[in-house]
Amino acid sequence: MKVFIQQFNKELWSPYIAGVVLGLVGVLAVWLSSSLLGASGAFENVVGMIGKALAPQAFNIMYFNFIMPPGITWGVVLIIGTIIGGGLGALSSKSWKLRLNTDDPQWIAIFGPQIWKRWLIAFFGAIILEYGAGIAGGCTSGLAISGGMLLAPAAFLFIAAMFASGIITAMLVYRRRY
Amino acid sequence: MNYVIALVLGAFFGLSLNKAGLTRYSKIVNVFRFTDLAVLKFMMTAMLVSMAGLYTLRGLGWIKFPNVPATYIMGNLIGGLIFGIGMALVGY
Repeated sequence: MKVFIQQFNKELWSPYIAGVVLGLVGVLAVWLSSSLLGASGAFENVVGMIGKALAPQAFNIMYFNFIMPPGITWGVVLIIGTIIGGGLGALSSKSWKLRLNTDDPQWIAIFGPQIWKRWLIAFFGAIILEYGAGIAGGCTSGLAISGGMLLAPAAFLFIAAMFASGIITAMLVYRRRY
Repeated sequence: MNYVIALVLGAFFGLSLNKAGLTRYSKIVNVFRFTDLAVLKFMMTAMLVSMAGLYTLRGLGWIKFPNVPATYIMGNLIGGLIFGIGMALVGY
């Protein structure tokens, strides 16, 4: 038991162990509430809800009416749980800390230590990311992992495309240091 | 009840992400530089475990699959290409 707790409290587990945990969560999600894990969809549900309240005309489109219905869905609650679980994980390894994301040595080496740069790139990068997820029909968790475990062809197309452009982007950002 | 399940499963989802180190910029970017393959190991293990579990349970007739994500080749590919740019830039 003591060994187990010691192992649990480590900051990083072997990715295989963490992967097994996520795999079991994926099975339970289908079994208990016949839903798929996903992250990006939840944001669209919430945005749809806010948009319908503020500008019902503009949000009365196919996408928000049928593809991503607004409201507090299963996925939104899942994301709230994710935040809690991530926090608990960080607390258990005593790595809980308010970060402005300037203490990742690799980021600093490439982009410099300015905080505003991190926030600016994070903001516009997240827009690109969410937009891509909206077109493809899911993100890494919602389409690649959840789709992949049902052997959906969409998931494997998405993974291939994601890695193709990810590698090229990393090459452009890192240049000689790639 | 469904929401309680979602909250608990979400907590384990977040825990596994945190413990695999996927909450860090360097882990995500390094998979695109092939210097740290933790993301792939994590993703593929998760897929393998749930594939085996789900298909076994369906074989036993205990579960029905929910809606499988739709395949529309151009959309999946273009979406994935745009997504990859964001992912490699931000590291989420």
